[in-house]
Amino acid sequence: MAKLRVAQLNVEVEYKHPTMIKQAEPYKADFERPNIRVSISDESMERMKEENPHLNEDELEYIFTGAGFYEALLEFNGFMLHSSGVCMDGYAYLFSADPGTGKSTHTGLWQQYFGKDRALIINDDKPAIRLVDDVLYAYGTPWSGKTDKNLNMRVPIGAIVFIERSTDNRIREITPNEAVPLIMGQTIRPAQQDKMIKLLDVLDTLLRRVKVYRLGCDMSFDAVKTSYEAIRVREGQ
Amino acid sequence: MKIKEDYLLRNVAGSHIVVPVGEGNLDFSGVITLNDVGAFLWERLQSDTTPEELLSALLAEYDVKSDVAKKDIDDFIVKLKGADLLAD
Repeated sequence: MAKLRVAQLNVEVEYKHPTMIKQAEPYKADFERPNIRVSISDESMERMKEENPHLNEDELEYIFTGAGFYEALLEFNGFMLHSSGVCMDGYAYLFSADPGTGKSTHTGLWQQYFGKDRALIINDDKPAIRLVDDVLYAYGTPWSGKTDKNLNMRVPIGAIVFIERSTDNRIREITPNEAVPLIMGQTIRPAQQDKMIKLLDVLDTLLRRVKVYRLGCDMSFDAVKTSYEAIRVREGQ
Repeated sequence: MKIKEDYLLRNVAGSHIVVPVGEGNLDFSGVITLNDVGAFLWERLQSDTTPEELLSALLAEYDVKSDVAKKDIDDFIVKLKGADLLAD
């Protein structure tokens, strides 16, 4: 069992394949008691191989240790949002969408436009979100999808943006009524009622405090300017 | 008349949200959003009730004319049936 510190939680994870060994390295920590234990039994690995014949053991271990962590995260005022998270001037902006829409492309454009030292990718695919000491944070985790872009850091959330491809660039703020189904479509939905209540309670706090937007965008710097100007947190407001 | 088991109604940042829960409900991945009257009726439909009981409850809670309230209830029940959300 490796000991990792992820999203301010002590996590014991059992893994042996190269992707997890590499991804987990920056999160290694020491602690006495774990908050979360994640392991995949030989039996479930065999079953997952049968269910996902196009994936090898390395990929399955990476995906399902992540799934185990994110499900457990629901017990700690947290959840995963399928999104690419960029940290800019002390706030995290999370761009969420279905796979293939271009969320990584959009945050990659932020890095090109503002510079890689100013716009940091916290997690390119699955940042953890937690309410800790009454602040909503986005966290880097070892599980960042197909890219290895993640940073072991926590950043207060500035905004959440759902993106769709468009020929022009436009953005509008949306209501919690419109945001809830979008968020529920981009997280792991717990089947158990107690976990669902915990998820909805975090969403309640999140949507009361954090602005959510819909962005239609192309792949130009104009898209970056459109989103940044609309969503950036202006201190003192 | 009663709503099926395994749905959870919750207020999220002022919105009335219904989501499916339970192992037998994983094929439906949607989210239902209700207005205030819809949420009021949904809560009552979590125990067995009738359209008549719903009408008197709605009239007691809201300042609304009887024929308007009756139509709201009928429309809501049609929607619930259409979405296969009513038991029996």
